[in-house]
Amino acid sequence: MGSEIWLGLFSGIAFGFVIQRVGATNADKMAKAHLMLQGGIPKFMLMAIILSAIGLLGLEAAGVANTRVLPTSLVATGVAGILFGIGWGFCGYCPGTTWAAAGEGRMDAVFALIGGLAGAAVFAHLHGYLVPLLYDPFNVGQITLADWTASRPAAVILLVSIFGLCIGAINFLWKEKNDGRTQ
Amino acid sequence: MEKKNISTAYWPWLPAAFALAGIIVFIFATFGPPASSSGFVSTIKGAVQTVAPEYVENKTHYAMMPDTGSWLFAFVLGMAMGGFIAGRTGRIPVRDIPEIWEKRFDSSRTRRFAATFVGGFIILFAARLAGGCTLGLFISGSSQLAVSGLYFGALIFAFAMVTARLVYGRTGKEE
Repeated sequence: MGSEIWLGLFSGIAFGFVIQRVGATNADKMAKAHLMLQGGIPKFMLMAIILSAIGLLGLEAAGVANTRVLPTSLVATGVAGILFGIGWGFCGYCPGTTWAAAGEGRMDAVFALIGGLAGAAVFAHLHGYLVPLLYDPFNVGQITLADWTASRPAAVILLVSIFGLCIGAINFLWKEKNDGRTQ
Repeated sequence: MEKKNISTAYWPWLPAAFALAGIIVFIFATFGPPASSSGFVSTIKGAVQTVAPEYVENKTHYAMMPDTGSWLFAFVLGMAMGGFIAGRTGRIPVRDIPEIWEKRFDSSRTRRFAATFVGGFIILFAARLAGGCTLGLFISGSSQLAVSGLYFGALIFAFAMVTARLVYGRTGKEE
């Protein structure tokens, strides 16, 4: 147990540091990303996924990757995505950024964190009712892009192409008005 | 001049993406898919089981998650510490109410804190229904080519963009 805790703590500190530095813990920047005024954070997220997918392919080749694909439930994942998007657009925080922003000293993030604990507790209470209703009947399994392509590397190329196009679209559609540095 | 200082306090997105991806790959090698909404469940489980152990034992959602003595809890705690260290060593201004919110509404702390409480409630309720959040489902999932992560990611961006438009109207554009 000991090493797992230290690894988690170390990973968390590094992760929290980077997302603070890029501005993801700043709800003002997050709102401006959603309003198509600043493209830096969405491009940061998409690029991090592209690089992680390539890195993970390397880990898999080396035989040291620990993967666990979450299933797709057409209804539960969809309803959750819609609700999550509404909450994210409304407050400018997502679960991970509330911890880093609270540590940074943003009081509104502390309230988002407390609200999050309440939301998770309410869901946990209703799990036995909601999961059989919304999740299980529409669960299509742990599907990945690799199920539709010839090989895993081909699926990574597909993912990189899609996300690369998204980054290009953000460059083109998001109206940057000020300094170029974070955008 | 002041404005320039603030803007250069942020890291540009491309090198930051390399840094984050390095951390994510490290986590895949040493633990598994990174996640943060699970850390909320671990926090509650750790707290509630000290007062109501039978309740926690009988709830599936707590049975499937470790308590506070876990990587998942250490990670979210670490994120708070990382945010603290980054905040204290950098030049990014820290505010309790975002500028754009203050422009759109007012500087009422009660209103903003009530709003983020509600927002936080919704995102965690939703993340637990999906099985993950921006990190645990979208970022971790998409890195593993999971359709669940891509499906969730497309919806959260689309609905966050619509919601932000409804909340802020033209506020952001008037700057």
